Amino acid sequence: MSISGEVRTNAPSSAVPARRHPLLLWLDPQLVAIGVAGGVLSGLLGVGGGIVMVPLLVLWARVPQRDAHAVSLGAIIPISVAGVLTYGVAGKVRPAEALALAAGSLLGARIGANALARIEERPLKLVFGLFLGAIAALMLVRS
Amino acid sequence: MSGVALFAVLAAFGVVVGAAAGLLGVGGGVLMVPFLTLVAGMSQHEAEATSLLVVLPTAIVASIVLRRRQVGDLGVALRIGLIGTVGGVAGSLLALALPSHDLRLVFAVFLALVAVRLVRDSLVTR
Repeated sequence: MSISGEVRTNAPSSAVPARRHPLLLWLDPQLVAIGVAGGVLSGLLGVGGGIVMVPLLVLWARVPQRDAHAVSLGAIIPISVAGVLTYGVAGKVRPAEALALAAGSLLGARIGANALARIEERPLKLVFGLFLGAIAALMLVRS
Repeated sequence: MSGVALFAVLAAFGVVVGAAAGLLGVGGGVLMVPFLTLVAGMSQHEAEATSLLVVLPTAIVASIVLRRRQVGDLGVALRIGLIGTVGGVAGSLLALALPSHDLRLVFAVFLALVAVRLVRDSLVTR
């Protein structure tokens, strides 16, 4: 895992040193807890797991900001596979609209991911903090 | 809005969603679901299902780019995600039993606190 920005060497169970012990990593209670929290809250509240996982990875597991966003994206893959299978059975998907959105978002994903690979730690924290603030405000208004 | 215009708007919005997802490490559902209900006139369930279908390829493409650029750890990510799917099933079942309004409120406050913390961290000189 590439370390971006500051290196926090005092993190006992962060994903960075644990990478050398893949078997231990599987059992790392912190990562299990983050996976469960991401999954439960996304199932419970209908928000994506990423919004939960990124803050937990950064503030709790002490994963560097940039890596936390990348790990969150990867974790969304199996979570959304399960979601698609569940909703696919229900037959609620609107395929034409999904296709149009995906055509744009696949281009956008490349742009965004390349930007993530380049962006500094601080502006990334700022952008993500503002994004979370906006979502929080939206949720408070709608609830 | 209908026909070609709607699909053009959806594709353009898709670019924004994909860029936000790739940069912020989120799926983008939080942006797409309100948009699909308000602009495309979908029901909540249709919007959520359709959004999930877009989130999957978006996350895959972004993850491929990030793996190539050696950001993060896809192996760790997939493990967390597999555990997350189990949690997701539990969460969906809990959602049927718990008062979701109160939970959303608590979660919104949690998000707001994290937002303040991150913005502060990014602005404070160290």
